[in-house]
Amino acid sequence: MLLESERLGQLEVDEESIITVPEGLLGFEDRTRFALIPADELGAYTWFHAIDDPSLAFLAVVPGFFFDDYAPDLPAGDVTALDLTDPADAQVLCLVTIAGDAITANLMGPIVVNVRSRLGRQVVLPDQGYGAREPLGGG
Amino acid sequence: MLVLSRKPGESIVVGGEITVTVLEVRGDMVRVGIDAPRSIAVHRKEVHDELMAANRDAAASPATPLDRLPRPQVERRHGG
Repeated sequence: MLLESERLGQLEVDEESIITVPEGLLGFEDRTRFALIPADELGAYTWFHAIDDPSLAFLAVVPGFFFDDYAPDLPAGDVTALDLTDPADAQVLCLVTIAGDAITANLMGPIVVNVRSRLGRQVVLPDQGYGAREPLGGG
Repeated sequence: MLVLSRKPGESIVVGGEITVTVLEVRGDMVRVGIDAPRSIAVHRKEVHDELMAANRDAAASPATPLDRLPRPQVERRHGG
């Protein structure tokens, strides 16, 4: 399908790259369909782009590329909501914030996608020692 | 705002499927138990607000060329 994007222009996205996020993201509850659009060749950066809103796009990272020790423990309620029967089906993405020179990733509220069912959810992990604005280090 | 007075051990039912029970009152601290369906997210308000602000700031981030962003640590990558 053709995706309209204020950031990326018009682009064709594969239907299979579309994720349904039934509850939306905190503060953006009315946007429930997103496309995952690779942003770099390695697959470390990904656009998480609303299908139904050309102006709503998040840059996200696959945290394993930047945060060696990040090992979020998914609450049982989130596992159920995502219909995750096999942990290997879970893909974790952390939204990136760029504010001046500060580039941070949200490790406290990652987006978890069940790659099998294409269901996604922003999980909230307040008690696992991860912040919502962790500096995105580089190699 | 609806205001109700409750004693420890007493509850409030919200929407038929959410029960909020006052467990303990000690000084200026109230311990509350919440029974809700797993599909309903329950969080401390400050956590909710912090993540909402983080999402808004993420969405408002300026377009930035990838070569100005931190480079991934390829060799140390593990599952994510």
